[in-house]
Amino acid sequence: MSKFSRRLVIAAMGGMLAFSTALSARAADLIAIITPSHDNPFFKAEAQGAEAKAKELGYEVLVASHDDDANKQSELIDTAIGRGAKAIILDNAGADASVAAVQKAKDAGIPSFLIDREINATGVAVAQIVSNNYQGAQLGAAEFVKLMGEKGTYVELVGKESDTNAGIRSKGYHDTIDAYPDMKMVAQQSANWSQKEAFDKMETILQANPDIKGVISGNDTMAMGAIAALQAAGKKDVIVVGFDGSNDVRDSILSGGIKATVLQPAYAQAQNAVVQAHDYITTKKAPAQEKQLMDCVLINGENAKSLETFALK
Amino acid sequence: MKRTRLIILACTVLLAGCKFVVTEKKGGDAGGSGATAPEQQVAEMWDAKVLPYLEAKAGDFKTVSEAVRTNAEAAGATYGNKEKQASSPWTVIVRLEGKIVAANTESRAGSIDVDADGNGSADARVQIGPVMRGTSLRDSLDFVSFNQFTNQIDFAQFGKAFNLHVDKTLTSKLPRDQLVGKTVSVLGAFPVENGKDLPLVTPAKIELK
Repeated sequence: MSKFSRRLVIAAMGGMLAFSTALSARAADLIAIITPSHDNPFFKAEAQGAEAKAKELGYEVLVASHDDDANKQSELIDTAIGRGAKAIILDNAGADASVAAVQKAKDAGIPSFLIDREINATGVAVAQIVSNNYQGAQLGAAEFVKLMGEKGTYVELVGKESDTNAGIRSKGYHDTIDAYPDMKMVAQQSANWSQKEAFDKMETILQANPDIKGVISGNDTMAMGAIAALQAAGKKDVIVVGFDGSNDVRDSILSGGIKATVLQPAYAQAQNAVVQAHDYITTKKAPAQEKQLMDCVLINGENAKSLETFALK
Repeated sequence: MKRTRLIILACTVLLAGCKFVVTEKKGGDAGGSGATAPEQQVAEMWDAKVLPYLEAKAGDFKTVSEAVRTNAEAAGATYGNKEKQASSPWTVIVRLEGKIVAANTESRAGSIDVDADGNGSADARVQIGPVMRGTSLRDSLDFVSFNQFTNQIDFAQFGKAFNLHVDKTLTSKLPRDQLVGKTVSVLGAFPVENGKDLPLVTPAKIELK
């Protein structure tokens, strides 16, 4: 559908809101895809995965980013409601803050299918499909400990606090690492999933702790920031492990920078959510389980070559 | 004791609607002595529910291994939790007996390699702690599901509590020297992986002979 005709539909929908149900049965149904900022390739990949699958199934899509701002998310949900979306695919802006927004959509008769991040409530969204972050964190931490020879000083970079995934990855890391008494954490700081912030924090941490042996990071963008700061400081032997499985980190692994990461099947997860939304729209059938976990896979020098856009070829 | 029984009974009766409400202590000292709420829950359900379930579901290691090779899904449903998460691997429950052919007690993630078919080479790796990886025991139980928990953290803590319980009550009591050559019998669970590494068994019962 061209931009122009899409506008026409929107205008028509706005103008004849009362008839929107009758109208949408004829025009292509709309699925709203709302995620955090596409600056992070992970969120971009899931948005693209969802969009591709939705178009394949004949839907019109509305793709938007809430930039991890719960107010903006609430406005976007209002937009989706106003435009008569048939379903919302949402990577949410906070486990607690998002419950009300998802409830609002539900009250308006629009089912939400959550990906990547959970909310702290069940029975509000139709599905919550998330990566098994704890299992993934244990994989990453076990590899980190092995690479460190079960000993040495290290730094942990933590993600955004409002995101359950930041906490669970940190917990998964520590449940594994803390069982090794010779592994000593000298600094633990949040860089809010941001590459730039991780770079700045890492520079500061290095001034106080120039001899660290390892950095374990809650995601790949922060790992990229950390390795850049380490390389700028001439520290080539520090072991860095990330989480997500981005192409940037794959390239870093292949060129001897970052040592490992954990792949979240972001693309497949988003597509899975759209398929479940489609089933729900067409048959009113909800998935058997609301909360669904998808396992992560360790990526290191052995299999990094096969990684492409958050999927193993 | 009586009180524990009562709680277990209540939990069994109400299982369909039983929600695991985990109020976890902050601080997260792995392997610490203070038991967390999930550890208490595991301790309470261990004898009454977990062991009877595992005993009833377990198959002989050789039989299960062959079944896994033929059809992992059918084997997983027979010897494990058929209600498992769609994308996670099948976890199967086995009885394993054999000679210890290698032991790794240098790593904190200690393990013994067991020769189950008597040909001299290892067929399975059994975790003996103190660090145990994975959530095999939790994942093998058909009466525990992610949907019963508020979020992944609570679900994860519940999984970890099984490993801590096993280490505290079983594997920390095993000797660390001269394990090789001894015969061991194990009731445990392992996830079905791609077959490159030895199956990694988390024990629920382990006995040196």
